[in-house]
Amino acid sequence: MNNLIIKTEGLAKVFKETTYGGLKQKTIVALDNLHCEVFQGEVFAFLGPNGAGKTTTIKLLTRLIFPTRGRVWLFGKENVDHTAMKKVGYLPEQPNLYGYLTGKEFLNFIAQIFGLDKQVRRKRIDVLIERVGLSERVMHLIRNYSRGMVQRLGLAQALINDPSLLILDEPMASLDPVGRKDFRDLILELKNQGKTIFFSSHILSDAEMIADRIGILNRGKLVSVGKLDDLSHSQTQPVEVTFIVDSSQISQIDLVKENVIVQGNRVLVRLDDKEALSSLLRQIDKWGGRLESIIPQRKSLEDYFMTEVRK
Amino acid sequence: MRIWAVALNTFKETIRNRVLINILIFAIGLILLTLIIGDWSIYQQAKVIKDFGLSAMSIFGLLIAIFIGIRLMVQELEQKTIYVIASKPINRWEIILGKVLGLSITLMINIVFMSIALWGTELIQEGQIDLGLAPAILLITVEILLIVCFAIFFSSFISSTLSAIFTIVVFTIGHLSGFLRDYIEIYPDKGFHWLLKGIYYIVPNLEILNLKMAVVEHLEQPPHAVLFGLLYGMGYILLLLLLTIIIFSKRDLK
Repeated sequence: MNNLIIKTEGLAKVFKETTYGGLKQKTIVALDNLHCEVFQGEVFAFLGPNGAGKTTTIKLLTRLIFPTRGRVWLFGKENVDHTAMKKVGYLPEQPNLYGYLTGKEFLNFIAQIFGLDKQVRRKRIDVLIERVGLSERVMHLIRNYSRGMVQRLGLAQALINDPSLLILDEPMASLDPVGRKDFRDLILELKNQGKTIFFSSHILSDAEMIADRIGILNRGKLVSVGKLDDLSHSQTQPVEVTFIVDSSQISQIDLVKENVIVQGNRVLVRLDDKEALSSLLRQIDKWGGRLESIIPQRKSLEDYFMTEVRK
Repeated sequence: MRIWAVALNTFKETIRNRVLINILIFAIGLILLTLIIGDWSIYQQAKVIKDFGLSAMSIFGLLIAIFIGIRLMVQELEQKTIYVIASKPINRWEIILGKVLGLSITLMINIVFMSIALWGTELIQEGQIDLGLAPAILLITVEILLIVCFAIFFSSFISSTLSAIFTIVVFTIGHLSGFLRDYIEIYPDKGFHWLLKGIYYIVPNLEILNLKMAVVEHLEQPPHAVLFGLLYGMGYILLLLLLTIIIFSKRDLK
């Protein structure tokens, strides 16, 4: 896990937009001073609300746009020309593919750009078509495909060169639940093959299920990066305490200014951090209550994400 | 290999484009129509067929060049299909050259079809074909390729509407180059003199590529007119390709 596959240093992108017919120029900082590292074999999820700079980062990695400041390294070499892209598979956000080609023609075209010879092309295309579940439609024109089918074909083209690094921009956005499940399985399969996967998403549950590490981007800045467990634990952690207490004492429980649920003489209290726990335990003892359970609550990625982007 | 892959893809794109097929059918139909028009002009049938046929070839070739040429780039950029290609191990100059090559093949096939229609019409009407039209057809092809390069050049950095307008302006000024030169010479002190002079030198003189009247009327041509036209046109094409590549290689594909 110590081989650096992606490294960015002070990466920034500023767009200039002209309005009022070119009379007024507006500067938009899409990405600001991004320092990020992704290691071999890991699944890295890049999360953030719309306009956070996720797609800008991905376009900078794939050289579709050029940085205003900062540098990018792929596979340990500075990404100054297209050579590193030989080992990269890229799926754009909601890809638009050539509607006048059939799925098979399109994959063949992409394979030709990678310089694959005819036999390898044919073999790989057949395997990938099967893998992404497009066997029945592969001879049809892409313009007749549904969004989900285009997404699957887009994924197939990203895998055509058997890449070491996969860069996927919102890969699950236009897939139905079955498609998302297939996609997650595929990502895990690719991870098991030793591939590195960098993907952006706003579907947090998917990221939570498959990512080894996450980075949260907000307004062009990377606000946090790390393993989900570490990030969650770095925050105050909620605790649920259940205890039995004599019904005569229950009226006093309002004194505990936390979430409280009372069912008969059973009380459930949710505390927002462990610090408040010792004082509650003393209180229970004072009331003559009996402690039933203390359960630490794992913060969901969504909770954490919302906390970070609202800061 | 990569340039060829892009060229082949571009070729497929253009020949599967209904606009192209429609323009081609219309052009060939119009050339065949000279069978009727030629009948109206007593003793001038052969001349009318050649004149009309070559003009139709030039105008429809130009229409294909402008509409397909601009569409080719703008569609890639606006529909963002370019993301999938430009992120692959391919240089941006290879993408431009591949596109120009693919479109050139389509245009040349069109010229071949239109030439067959023209010579076929001649054969039906006159019982013979005039191979003396070939130099004019060759230079029409060069002119169309040059206009394609202008269309691709403009559409690599401005919108499709502006690209179409600028390309048509270049075509028009290019054919009025002689008048422009005369105007500058006769009225050297008029306002905007420097601007007109600038335009005169930047925009190619497309009349150099126009041998239509010369071949139809069997006029005496200056020696090496075809070779000069060929080199002149190719020189401009190379220059435009270079500029397009420089602009396209540096631009962000947003």
